[in-house]
Amino acid sequence: MWLWFAKLGSPKWFYELSSKWLPWLVGAMAITLAVATVWALLYLPPDYQQGFTSRILIVHVAVAGTSLAFFPLMAVAGTITLVWKMKLADMVAKNAAALGAWFSFITLATGSIWGSVSWGTWWEWSDSRLVSMLFQFFLLLGVVSLRSALEDSDKAAKACALLSIVGCINVVVIKYSVEWWNTLHQPASPVSIESGSANGPEFWIATALMILGVYLFMSVSLILSTRNEILRRERRALWVQELLHESD
Amino acid sequence: MKPSTLTAFVLTLKRDLLIAFKRKNDIVNPFMFFVIVVSLFPLAISPEPARLAEISSGVIWIAVLLSAMLSMDSLFRADFEDGSLEMLLLSPHPLFFLVLAKNIAHWLVSGLPVVVASPLLGYMLKLPADAYATLMLTLLIGTPTLSLIGSIAVALTVGLGSRGLILAVITLPFSVPVLIFGTLAVQASAGGLPAGGYLALMLALLAGSLSLAPLTSAAALRISVS
Repeated sequence: MWLWFAKLGSPKWFYELSSKWLPWLVGAMAITLAVATVWALLYLPPDYQQGFTSRILIVHVAVAGTSLAFFPLMAVAGTITLVWKMKLADMVAKNAAALGAWFSFITLATGSIWGSVSWGTWWEWSDSRLVSMLFQFFLLLGVVSLRSALEDSDKAAKACALLSIVGCINVVVIKYSVEWWNTLHQPASPVSIESGSANGPEFWIATALMILGVYLFMSVSLILSTRNEILRRERRALWVQELLHESD
Repeated sequence: MKPSTLTAFVLTLKRDLLIAFKRKNDIVNPFMFFVIVVSLFPLAISPEPARLAEISSGVIWIAVLLSAMLSMDSLFRADFEDGSLEMLLLSPHPLFFLVLAKNIAHWLVSGLPVVVASPLLGYMLKLPADAYATLMLTLLIGTPTLSLIGSIAVALTVGLGSRGLILAVITLPFSVPVLIFGTLAVQASAGGLPAGGYLALMLALLAGSLSLAPLTSAAALRISVS
Protein backbone atom coordinates (compact mmCIF):
# COMPACT_ATOMS: atom_id res chain seq x y z
CA MET A 1 0.00 0.00 0.00
CA TRP A 2 2.93 2.31 0.66
CA LEU A 3 4.52 1.43 -2.62
CA TRP A 4 2.61 4.00 -4.66
CA PHE A 5 3.44 6.58 -2.03
CA ALA A 6 7.15 5.87 -2.24
CA LYS A 7 6.87 5.92 -6.01
CA LEU A 8 5.11 9.27 -5.91
CA GLY A 9 8.14 10.72 -4.17
CA SER A 10 10.44 9.79 -7.01
CA PRO A 11 11.09 12.81 -9.21
CA LYS A 12 11.82 10.60 -12.20
CA TRP A 13 8.49 8.81 -11.93
CA PHE A 14 6.68 12.12 -11.64
CA TYR A 15 8.55 13.52 -14.62
CA GLU A 16 7.58 10.59 -16.82
CA LEU A 17 3.98 10.49 -15.65
CA SER A 18 3.50 14.22 -16.06
CA SER A 19 4.86 14.00 -19.61
CA LYS A 20 1.91 11.76 -20.41
CA TRP A 21 -0.63 13.92 -18.59
CA LEU A 22 0.48 17.32 -19.73
CA PRO A 23 -0.94 17.28 -23.28
CA TRP A 24 -4.39 16.34 -21.91
CA LEU A 25 -4.27 18.93 -19.18
CA VAL A 26 -3.09 21.65 -21.52
CA GLY A 27 -5.80 20.72 -24.02
CA ALA A 28 -8.54 20.78 -21.39
CA MET A 29 -7.20 24.07 -20.06
CA ALA A 30 -7.13 25.67 -23.50
CA ILE A 31 -10.68 24.59 -24.30
CA THR A 32 -12.25 25.64 -20.98
CA LEU A 33 -10.38 28.93 -20.85
CA ALA A 34 -11.23 29.75 -24.45
CA VAL A 35 -14.92 28.90 -24.06
CA ALA A 36 -15.21 30.71 -20.74
CA THR A 37 -13.38 33.81 -21.97
CA VAL A 38 -15.35 34.11 -25.18
CA TRP A 39 -18.59 33.51 -23.37
CA ALA A 40 -17.76 35.98 -20.61
CA LEU A 41 -16.49 38.71 -22.88
CA LEU A 42 -18.81 38.43 -25.88
CA TYR A 43 -22.07 36.75 -24.94
CA LEU A 44 -22.68 37.50 -21.29
CA PRO A 45 -25.52 40.02 -21.02
CA PRO A 46 -24.48 43.23 -19.26
CA ASP A 47 -25.56 43.60 -15.68
CA TYR A 48 -28.37 46.11 -15.30
CA GLN A 49 -26.46 48.08 -12.69
CA GLN A 50 -22.82 47.45 -13.41
CA GLY A 51 -23.04 47.23 -17.16
CA PHE A 52 -20.24 45.43 -18.90
CA THR A 53 -17.79 45.73 -15.98
CA SER A 54 -19.47 42.77 -14.32
CA ARG A 55 -17.69 40.61 -16.87
CA ILE A 56 -14.31 41.07 -15.20
CA LEU A 57 -15.78 39.44 -12.10
CA ILE A 58 -15.75 36.10 -13.88
CA VAL A 59 -11.97 36.20 -14.06
CA HIS A 60 -11.66 37.77 -10.65
CA VAL A 61 -13.80 35.20 -8.83
CA ALA A 62 -12.01 32.30 -10.50
CA VAL A 63 -8.52 33.61 -9.69
CA ALA A 64 -9.50 34.54 -6.14
CA GLY A 65 -10.95 31.10 -5.46
CA THR A 66 -7.86 29.43 -6.82
CA SER A 67 -5.49 31.66 -4.86
CA LEU A 68 -7.06 30.41 -1.63
CA ALA A 69 -5.92 26.89 -2.47
CA PHE A 70 -2.22 27.71 -2.26
CA PHE A 71 -1.69 27.88 1.48
CA PRO A 72 -3.45 24.56 2.18
CA LEU A 73 -1.51 23.03 -0.71
CA MET A 74 1.79 24.34 0.67
CA ALA A 75 0.93 23.21 4.20
CA VAL A 76 0.19 19.68 2.99
CA ALA A 77 3.36 19.62 0.88
CA GLY A 78 5.28 21.03 3.85
CA THR A 79 3.97 18.31 6.17
CA ILE A 80 5.03 15.69 3.64
CA THR A 81 8.48 17.32 3.43
CA LEU A 82 8.91 17.37 7.20
CA VAL A 83 7.52 13.92 7.92
CA TRP A 84 8.57 11.80 4.94
CA LYS A 85 11.39 14.02 3.63
CA MET A 86 10.00 13.69 0.13
CA LYS A 87 11.95 15.83 -2.31
CA LEU A 88 9.11 16.13 -4.77
CA ALA A 89 6.79 17.73 -2.20
CA ASP A 90 9.31 20.47 -1.61
CA MET A 91 9.77 21.12 -5.33
CA VAL A 92 6.02 21.61 -5.61
CA ALA A 93 5.91 23.80 -2.50
CA LYS A 94 8.75 26.01 -3.75
CA ASN A 95 6.93 26.88 -6.95
CA ALA A 96 3.54 27.07 -5.28
CA ALA A 97 4.69 29.95 -3.06
CA ALA A 98 5.71 32.18 -5.96
CA LEU A 99 2.72 31.15 -8.07
CA GLY A 100 0.38 31.77 -5.15
CA ALA A 101 1.80 35.26 -4.70
CA TRP A 102 1.10 35.94 -8.37
CA PHE A 103 -2.45 34.64 -8.10
CA SER A 104 -3.06 36.83 -5.04
CA PHE A 105 -1.65 39.79 -6.91
CA ILE A 106 -3.88 39.18 -9.92
CA THR A 107 -6.86 38.83 -7.57
CA LEU A 108 -6.06 42.20 -6.02
CA ALA A 109 -5.45 43.80 -9.41
CA THR A 110 -8.64 42.55 -11.08
CA GLY A 111 -10.60 43.39 -7.95
CA SER A 112 -9.23 46.94 -8.01
CA ILE A 113 -10.10 47.41 -11.66
CA TRP A 114 -13.62 46.20 -11.06
CA GLY A 115 -13.89 48.29 -7.91
CA SER A 116 -12.68 51.44 -9.63
CA VAL A 117 -15.78 51.34 -11.80
CA SER A 118 -18.36 49.77 -9.51
CA TRP A 119 -17.33 51.23 -6.18
CA GLY A 120 -15.66 54.35 -7.52
CA THR A 121 -12.42 53.53 -5.72
CA TRP A 122 -9.38 51.40 -6.44
CA TRP A 123 -8.93 50.39 -2.84
CA GLU A 124 -11.42 50.10 -0.02
CA TRP A 125 -10.29 49.18 3.51
CA SER A 126 -13.84 48.52 4.58
CA ASP A 127 -14.05 45.33 2.55
CA SER A 128 -12.53 42.53 4.60
CA ARG A 129 -11.91 40.32 1.58
CA LEU A 130 -9.56 42.91 0.13
CA VAL A 131 -7.64 43.28 3.35
CA SER A 132 -7.26 39.59 4.09
CA MET A 133 -6.23 38.92 0.47
CA LEU A 134 -3.58 41.62 0.84
CA PHE A 135 -2.17 39.91 3.92
CA GLN A 136 -2.28 36.51 2.26
CA PHE A 137 -0.19 38.12 -0.50
CA PHE A 138 2.28 39.43 2.10
CA LEU A 139 2.51 36.05 3.84
CA LEU A 140 3.21 34.28 0.56
CA LEU A 141 5.90 36.83 -0.27
CA GLY A 142 7.38 36.11 3.17
CA VAL A 143 7.68 32.43 2.29
CA VAL A 144 9.27 33.30 -1.05
CA SER A 145 11.81 35.63 0.55
CA LEU A 146 12.67 33.10 3.27
CA ARG A 147 13.34 30.56 0.54
CA SER A 148 15.65 32.89 -1.34
CA ALA A 149 17.45 33.99 1.83
CA LEU A 150 18.43 30.48 2.92
CA GLU A 151 21.21 29.12 0.78
CA ASP A 152 21.26 25.52 1.94
CA SER A 153 18.39 24.01 -0.07
CA ASP A 154 17.68 21.25 2.45
CA LYS A 155 17.39 23.75 5.28
CA ALA A 156 15.32 26.08 3.11
CA ALA A 157 12.94 23.23 2.32
CA LYS A 158 12.28 22.44 5.96
CA ALA A 159 12.15 26.07 7.07
CA CYS A 160 9.65 26.98 4.35
CA ALA A 161 7.62 23.87 5.14
CA LEU A 162 7.31 24.98 8.74
CA LEU A 163 6.50 28.55 7.78
CA SER A 164 3.83 27.37 5.33
CA ILE A 165 2.11 25.30 8.01
CA VAL A 166 2.15 28.20 10.48
CA GLY A 167 1.10 30.58 7.70
CA CYS A 168 -1.83 28.37 6.72
CA ILE A 169 -3.21 28.59 10.26
CA ASN A 170 -2.48 32.29 10.39
CA VAL A 171 -4.29 33.09 7.17
CA VAL A 172 -7.46 31.77 8.79
CA VAL A 173 -6.93 33.73 12.02
CA ILE A 174 -6.17 36.90 10.07
CA LYS A 175 -9.23 36.41 7.90
CA TYR A 176 -11.56 36.18 10.88
CA SER A 177 -9.96 39.02 12.81
CA VAL A 178 -10.08 41.29 9.78
CA GLU A 179 -13.72 40.44 9.21
CA TRP A 180 -14.48 41.23 12.80
CA TRP A 181 -12.48 44.44 12.70
CA ASN A 182 -14.48 45.41 9.68
CA THR A 183 -17.93 44.87 11.10
CA LEU A 184 -16.89 46.96 14.08
CA HIS A 185 -15.65 49.81 11.96
CA GLN A 186 -19.13 50.26 10.53
CA PRO A 187 -18.03 50.95 6.99
CA ALA A 188 -19.83 53.36 4.75
CA SER A 189 -20.63 50.26 2.79
CA PRO A 190 -19.94 50.27 -0.92
CA VAL A 191 -22.25 48.38 -3.21
CA SER A 192 -21.73 44.77 -2.20
CA ILE A 193 -21.12 42.09 -4.75
CA GLU A 194 -24.21 40.17 -3.70
CA SER A 195 -26.70 42.92 -4.23
CA GLY A 196 -27.84 43.99 -7.63
CA SER A 197 -26.14 41.50 -9.88
CA ALA A 198 -28.58 39.36 -11.75
CA ASN A 199 -27.00 35.98 -11.20
CA GLY A 200 -28.66 34.14 -14.03
CA PRO A 201 -27.60 30.70 -15.20
CA GLU A 202 -25.41 32.02 -18.01
CA PHE A 203 -23.43 33.97 -15.43
CA TRP A 204 -22.89 30.95 -13.21
CA ILE A 205 -22.00 28.53 -15.96
CA ALA A 206 -19.43 30.96 -17.32
CA THR A 207 -18.00 31.43 -13.83
CA ALA A 208 -17.86 27.69 -13.17
CA LEU A 209 -16.11 27.11 -16.49
CA MET A 210 -13.66 29.88 -15.73
CA ILE A 211 -12.94 28.44 -12.27
CA LEU A 212 -12.29 25.05 -13.83
CA GLY A 213 -10.06 26.66 -16.45
CA VAL A 214 -8.07 28.64 -13.90
CA TYR A 215 -7.60 25.57 -11.72
CA LEU A 216 -6.32 23.70 -14.76
CA PHE A 217 -4.04 26.62 -15.54
CA MET A 218 -2.71 26.51 -11.99
CA SER A 219 -2.09 22.76 -12.23
CA VAL A 220 -0.35 23.10 -15.56
CA SER A 221 1.88 25.95 -14.34
CA LEU A 222 2.69 24.06 -11.19
CA ILE A 223 3.51 20.88 -13.07
CA LEU A 224 5.64 22.72 -15.62
CA SER A 225 7.62 24.61 -13.00
CA THR A 226 8.02 21.46 -10.93
CA ARG A 227 9.39 19.66 -13.99
CA ASN A 228 11.94 22.44 -14.43
CA GLU A 229 12.85 22.20 -10.79
CA ILE A 230 13.28 18.43 -11.09
CA LEU A 231 15.63 18.84 -14.04
CA ARG A 232 17.59 21.52 -12.21
CA ARG A 233 18.00 19.62 -8.96
CA GLU A 234 18.56 16.19 -10.51
CA ARG A 235 20.85 17.46 -13.25
CA ARG A 236 23.61 15.10 -12.15
CA ALA A 237 21.31 12.06 -12.17
CA LEU A 238 21.80 9.54 -14.93
CA TRP A 239 18.25 9.68 -16.29
CA VAL A 240 18.38 13.45 -16.71
CA GLN A 241 21.69 13.20 -18.53
CA GLU A 242 20.21 10.60 -20.87
CA LEU A 243 17.15 12.76 -21.43
CA LEU A 244 19.33 15.69 -22.37
CA HIS A 245 21.36 13.61 -24.81
CA GLU A 246 18.20 12.33 -26.45
CA SER A 247 17.00 15.84 -27.15
CA ASP A 248 20.34 16.89 -28.65
CA MET B 1 22.27 12.73 38.19
CA LYS B 2 20.15 14.66 35.74
CA PRO B 3 18.64 17.91 37.08
CA SER B 4 14.92 18.27 36.67
CA THR B 5 13.41 20.14 33.74
CA LEU B 6 12.21 22.83 36.12
CA THR B 7 15.79 23.47 37.25
CA ALA B 8 16.91 23.68 33.63
CA PHE B 9 14.07 26.10 32.91
CA VAL B 10 14.98 28.35 35.85
CA LEU B 11 18.69 28.20 35.04
CA THR B 12 18.11 29.19 31.40
CA LEU B 13 15.89 32.05 32.52
CA LYS B 14 18.48 33.29 35.03
CA ARG B 15 21.32 32.96 32.58
CA ASP B 16 19.51 34.96 29.89
CA LEU B 17 18.52 37.68 32.34
CA LEU B 18 22.09 37.92 33.58
CA ILE B 19 23.42 38.24 30.04
CA ALA B 20 20.79 40.87 29.22
CA PHE B 21 21.76 43.00 32.19
CA LYS B 22 25.41 42.80 31.24
CA ARG B 23 24.65 43.99 27.72
CA LYS B 24 22.40 46.89 28.50
CA ASN B 25 22.34 48.14 24.93
CA ASP B 26 20.02 45.30 23.96
CA ILE B 27 17.52 46.49 26.56
CA VAL B 28 17.86 50.24 26.19
CA ASN B 29 17.93 50.56 22.42
CA PRO B 30 14.56 48.95 21.55
CA PHE B 31 12.97 50.94 24.35
CA MET B 32 14.48 54.21 23.16
CA PHE B 33 13.42 53.35 19.63
CA PHE B 34 9.86 52.88 20.85
CA VAL B 35 9.81 56.22 22.67
CA ILE B 36 11.40 58.12 19.78
CA VAL B 37 9.07 56.65 17.14
CA VAL B 38 6.04 57.60 19.23
CA SER B 39 7.30 61.16 19.69
CA LEU B 40 7.84 61.60 15.96
CA PHE B 41 4.15 61.17 15.15
CA PRO B 42 2.89 64.47 16.58
CA LEU B 43 5.64 66.24 14.62
CA ALA B 44 4.67 64.52 11.40
CA ILE B 45 0.90 64.61 11.73
CA SER B 46 -0.36 67.39 13.95
CA PRO B 47 0.12 68.65 17.52
CA GLU B 48 -3.62 69.17 17.79
CA PRO B 49 -4.90 67.20 20.84
CA ALA B 50 -8.11 65.98 19.21
CA ARG B 51 -6.31 64.46 16.24
CA LEU B 52 -3.60 62.94 18.42
CA ALA B 53 -6.20 61.31 20.66
CA GLU B 54 -7.74 59.73 17.62
CA ILE B 55 -4.55 58.07 16.42
CA SER B 56 -2.79 57.50 19.75
CA SER B 57 -3.71 53.83 20.26
CA GLY B 58 -2.68 52.92 16.74
CA VAL B 59 0.59 54.85 16.95
CA ILE B 60 1.58 53.24 20.23
CA TRP B 61 0.75 49.78 18.94
CA ILE B 62 2.67 50.22 15.70
CA ALA B 63 5.67 51.54 17.60
CA VAL B 64 5.48 48.54 19.94
CA LEU B 65 5.37 46.19 16.94
CA LEU B 66 8.41 47.80 15.32
CA SER B 67 10.49 47.89 18.47
CA ALA B 68 9.56 44.27 19.22
CA MET B 69 10.74 43.42 15.72
CA LEU B 70 14.10 45.08 16.34
CA SER B 71 14.64 43.54 19.73
CA MET B 72 13.69 40.03 18.57
CA ASP B 73 16.88 39.91 16.58
CA SER B 74 18.93 39.34 19.73
CA LEU B 75 16.84 36.40 20.97
CA PHE B 76 19.02 33.57 19.69
CA ARG B 77 21.83 35.43 17.91
CA ALA B 78 24.53 35.55 20.61
CA ASP B 79 23.79 31.96 21.58
CA PHE B 80 24.07 30.88 17.98
CA GLU B 81 27.35 32.70 17.48
CA ASP B 82 29.11 31.32 20.53
CA GLY B 83 27.72 27.81 20.13
CA SER B 84 25.65 27.66 23.31
CA LEU B 85 22.52 27.21 21.19
CA GLU B 86 23.86 23.84 20.11
CA MET B 87 24.35 22.90 23.76
CA LEU B 88 20.73 23.85 24.33
CA LEU B 89 19.61 21.59 21.50
CA LEU B 90 21.72 18.71 22.83
CA SER B 91 20.34 18.99 26.34
CA PRO B 92 18.17 16.10 27.52
CA HIS B 93 15.37 18.45 28.55
CA PRO B 94 12.45 19.22 26.26
CA LEU B 95 13.47 22.11 24.03
CA PHE B 96 9.95 23.52 24.45
CA PHE B 97 10.67 24.67 28.01
CA LEU B 98 14.15 25.97 27.26
CA VAL B 99 12.86 28.05 24.36
CA LEU B 100 9.99 29.24 26.53
CA ALA B 101 12.47 30.29 29.24
CA LYS B 102 14.49 32.26 26.70
CA ASN B 103 11.29 33.86 25.43
CA ILE B 104 10.19 34.88 28.91
CA ALA B 105 13.60 36.32 29.76
CA HIS B 106 13.56 38.26 26.52
CA TRP B 107 10.09 39.59 27.16
CA LEU B 108 11.01 40.65 30.70
CA VAL B 109 13.81 42.87 29.43
CA SER B 110 12.28 44.11 26.16
CA GLY B 111 8.48 43.91 26.52
CA LEU B 112 7.92 44.83 30.14
CA PRO B 113 9.61 48.28 30.00
CA VAL B 114 7.33 49.20 27.11
CA VAL B 115 4.25 48.12 29.07
CA VAL B 116 5.34 50.16 32.10
CA ALA B 117 6.10 53.27 30.06
CA SER B 118 2.92 53.11 27.97
CA PRO B 119 0.66 55.36 30.14
CA LEU B 120 3.26 58.12 29.92
CA LEU B 121 3.31 57.88 26.13
CA GLY B 122 -0.45 57.62 26.13
CA TYR B 123 -0.53 60.90 28.02
CA MET B 124 1.86 62.52 25.57
CA LEU B 125 -0.42 61.49 22.72
CA LYS B 126 -3.52 62.75 24.57
CA LEU B 127 -5.09 59.33 24.93
CA PRO B 128 -8.22 59.69 27.11
CA ALA B 129 -7.32 58.85 30.71
CA ASP B 130 -9.99 56.13 30.91
CA ALA B 131 -8.02 54.06 28.45
CA TYR B 132 -4.66 53.94 30.28
CA ALA B 133 -5.51 50.76 32.15
CA THR B 134 -6.75 49.05 28.99
CA LEU B 135 -3.67 50.18 27.07
CA MET B 136 -1.41 48.64 29.70
CA LEU B 137 -3.46 45.46 29.84
CA THR B 138 -3.50 45.00 26.06
CA LEU B 139 0.25 45.56 25.93
CA LEU B 140 0.75 43.19 28.87
CA ILE B 141 -1.09 40.48 26.93
CA GLY B 142 0.01 41.53 23.45
CA THR B 143 3.76 41.99 23.80
CA PRO B 144 4.43 38.41 24.98
CA THR B 145 2.24 37.17 22.10
CA LEU B 146 4.32 39.21 19.68
CA SER B 147 7.55 37.86 21.18
CA LEU B 148 6.29 34.30 20.90
CA ILE B 149 5.16 34.71 17.29
CA GLY B 150 8.37 36.51 16.42
CA SER B 151 10.54 33.80 17.93
CA ILE B 152 9.40 31.40 15.20
CA ALA B 153 10.75 33.64 12.46
CA VAL B 154 13.90 34.37 14.48
CA ALA B 155 14.51 30.66 14.90
CA LEU B 156 13.99 30.06 11.18
CA THR B 157 16.50 32.75 10.19
CA VAL B 158 19.04 32.36 12.98
CA GLY B 159 21.89 31.34 10.70
CA LEU B 160 21.55 34.27 8.32
CA GLY B 161 24.01 37.14 8.29
CA SER B 162 21.75 40.13 7.76
CA ARG B 163 18.18 39.30 8.54
CA GLY B 164 16.57 42.36 10.08
CA LEU B 165 14.37 42.94 7.07
CA ILE B 166 13.39 39.39 6.33
CA LEU B 167 12.42 39.00 9.96
CA ALA B 168 10.05 41.94 9.63
CA VAL B 169 8.65 40.76 6.29
CA ILE B 170 7.80 37.36 7.75
CA THR B 171 6.58 38.42 11.18
CA LEU B 172 4.65 41.64 10.60
CA PRO B 173 1.75 40.04 8.67
CA PHE B 174 1.54 37.43 11.43
CA SER B 175 0.97 40.12 14.05
CA VAL B 176 -2.16 41.51 12.38
CA PRO B 177 -4.67 39.86 14.78
CA VAL B 178 -2.80 41.12 17.86
CA LEU B 179 -2.66 44.61 16.39
CA ILE B 180 -6.36 44.58 15.50
CA PHE B 181 -7.63 43.45 18.88
CA GLY B 182 -5.13 45.56 20.82
CA THR B 183 -6.12 48.80 19.11
CA LEU B 184 -9.83 47.92 19.14
CA ALA B 185 -9.72 47.35 22.89
CA VAL B 186 -7.99 50.67 23.55
CA GLN B 187 -10.34 52.54 21.21
CA ALA B 188 -13.34 50.93 22.89
CA SER B 189 -12.36 52.04 26.36
CA ALA B 190 -11.33 55.47 25.10
CA GLY B 191 -14.91 55.76 23.83
CA GLY B 192 -16.33 54.57 27.15
CA LEU B 193 -17.26 51.10 25.92
CA PRO B 194 -16.37 47.79 27.62
CA ALA B 195 -13.20 46.19 26.28
CA GLY B 196 -13.49 42.81 28.00
CA GLY B 197 -14.34 40.90 24.84
CA TYR B 198 -11.23 42.08 23.01
CA LEU B 199 -9.07 41.31 26.01
CA ALA B 200 -10.52 37.80 26.12
CA LEU B 201 -9.68 37.34 22.43
CA MET B 202 -6.16 38.61 23.04
CA LEU B 203 -5.80 36.17 25.93
CA ALA B 204 -6.92 33.42 23.57
CA LEU B 205 -4.23 34.47 21.08
CA LEU B 206 -1.68 34.48 23.93
CA ALA B 207 -2.78 31.03 25.12
CA GLY B 208 -2.57 29.67 21.60
CA SER B 209 0.86 31.10 20.90
CA LEU B 210 2.12 30.15 24.36
CA SER B 211 1.39 26.51 23.68
CA LEU B 212 2.23 26.34 19.96
CA ALA B 213 4.96 28.92 19.32
CA PRO B 214 7.72 27.43 21.52
CA LEU B 215 7.01 24.06 19.91
CA THR B 216 7.34 25.55 16.44
CA SER B 217 10.39 27.61 17.41
CA ALA B 218 12.03 24.48 18.80
CA ALA B 219 11.39 22.64 15.54
CA ALA B 220 12.68 25.66 13.60
CA LEU B 221 15.86 25.79 15.70
CA ARG B 222 16.51 22.13 15.00
CA ILE B 223 16.19 22.90 11.28
CA SER B 224 18.43 25.97 11.40
CA VAL B 225 21.15 24.51 13.58
CA SER B 226 22.06 21.27 11.88
